[in-house]
Amino acid sequence: MDETVAEYIRRTVLKIPRDEIKMMLQKWGFLSEAQLQTLNFHQVKDNISQEVVQLCEENSADIKQAAVLDIIYNHIYQNKRMWRVYQMKKSGEELEYFDLTDFKKKFKGRLRSTLKNVTITFREYEDNAIWIRVAWGTLYRKPNQYKPSYVVYHSQTPYVFISASMLKSNLPLLCQALIVASNYHDIREMELRSHSLNSLKDIVFKRYSQNFQTYHPKPLQEGNVEPENEDLRIVQENRSEKERIQRLNREVFGDGPQPKLEFAQYRLETMFKSDPKMDVLDKKEPFRCLVKFSSPHLLESLKSLPAAGMADAPLSPLLTCIPQQARNYFKIREKKGLFPESFVSP
Amino acid sequence: GVFAHLEMLEARDRREAVEQEEKEQREEKLAFLKSRLRELRLQRDQLREKLDRLEKGKVGKEGMALDPAHPGPREVLEWKIRSLRSLLQVFHLTGISGKRSRRGLCLSLGTAFEGSYLDSFHLELPVRPELRIRRHSIPAFIPLEQLSREFLHSDFRSFLGRLCQHLNGFVGRRLQVELLQEHFSDWIQGTLHRNSLCNLLTFTYNIPGNSRSFPFRARLLYRDPCRSLPTEVTVSCS
Repeated sequence: MDETVAEYIRRTVLKIPRDEIKMMLQKWGFLSEAQLQTLNFHQVKDNISQEVVQLCEENSADIKQAAVLDIIYNHIYQNKRMWRVYQMKKSGEELEYFDLTDFKKKFKGRLRSTLKNVTITFREYEDNAIWIRVAWGTLYRKPNQYKPSYVVYHSQTPYVFISASMLKSNLPLLCQALIVASNYHDIREMELRSHSLNSLKDIVFKRYSQNFQTYHPKPLQEGNVEPENEDLRIVQENRSEKERIQRLNREVFGDGPQPKLEFAQYRLETMFKSDPKMDVLDKKEPFRCLVKFSSPHLLESLKSLPAAGMADAPLSPLLTCIPQQARNYFKIREKKGLFPESFVSP
Repeated sequence: GVFAHLEMLEARDRREAVEQEEKEQREEKLAFLKSRLRELRLQRDQLREKLDRLEKGKVGKEGMALDPAHPGPREVLEWKIRSLRSLLQVFHLTGISGKRSRRGLCLSLGTAFEGSYLDSFHLELPVRPELRIRRHSIPAFIPLEQLSREFLHSDFRSFLGRLCQHLNGFVGRRLQVELLQEHFSDWIQGTLHRNSLCNLLTFTYNIPGNSRSFPFRARLLYRDPCRSLPTEVTVSCS
């Protein structure tokens, strides 16, 4: 077995938390049950990884199998990476019946035709997600297995999720290969990024809860009503206001959990509006500034702001449009013309 | 003598006075009780009268209510609400129902397959300044953009009809895949490969219990996205 492969396997196993090593090796399926039985999972991780490498040596592992183990690790710990969303555009009108083998062949073919030194690995998951791992090399250098790119694609959708740690020059190659393989003709990056891959999927696949007005009585979710301790001595002075806020929140955010985003960034290129007498800025230039909202769970915290009394309800549409517009990066410019209102650029 | 006689007369007098007093007391009490009796009797009569009046009045009211030819306004309202609710239920059963809100038109598209009601999808369409889709919950692999480009402004009915067909086709295919995996889990070997639209399925299966058979490989292709039956089926044996 190649030394580089051995080292790569050793380092991948070291990344895995000790309690999960057995489970991941089982998922990998490269080592037999009998071989797994011989491993002692209670020793120091260094020793475990060494033993694993020895077993892989027995089975003559190559880089392809090692890459599969890496995909498995990154699929389980997908939230450690930052994901970006790309949207593809179709020119033709034909409805294809996506063939996975066809897709893989075209993708590999396209990528390898430009760059010989790449390692490409595919893995399909239950929810129709196709994971692609690409390790990049150059004309003269073998692929760097320690900085691969990951692509997640759901067939017959125009969206691709990429977590890349690659040279800027390799991104166009990756994009080209994707559109060729999936029969689209163009691809562009959306202004949507997050660590939570599932939340990004929820947003673009419209899987998150939206509040639509219907006549059909939806089963009322009793969980929404706060179980207040009905102490009769406490009088709710602003009950109507509380209810108004709750109603507005439901209209805007829906009933269910929100997709998990960590930040929203607004790049302002608007004119600074001040008292003309103060004359802060001599030049009539747009005041450039960047406003960034960060949170472990941005949308849930925005949802709870009016109820907590920290913001007026209804919230600004610039904040609430995030899931619907599928973006968390905004550029706000001054609208040129008679009415200098700011608007959000598409 | 004389004193004894006088004492006797005095005693007699006292006795008679006491008796007289008692008699007067008794008569007083009697008179009081008699008047109390008269009072109670009067009260009783009044209550009886009241009861009679009430009973007569009730009968009178019952006599009035049972007149179906002239329903009261409340009955009319209740009937209206009932029939509207049934109408909404009927619309819901057809699969397309809508509601006008201040944001425009909100459509709910329900799907079903062979008697099972499945998912509902929604569209929010503002009408002004022009008809467009503002929000929706249509999955990304349904060609919504293509359909709206072609039909939304030219033929709205076709747009809805086709969209419903696509959705129903997808939901029907998906349900069939789930049922296949559930009911024939011991026939299918390995994993069943499908795509997002469930219009291409490939799987390997074996007839259980028949040790002499070898695995078959099936490939189902559904060329028509609106239908839940395949157009091409290939079964091969390796």
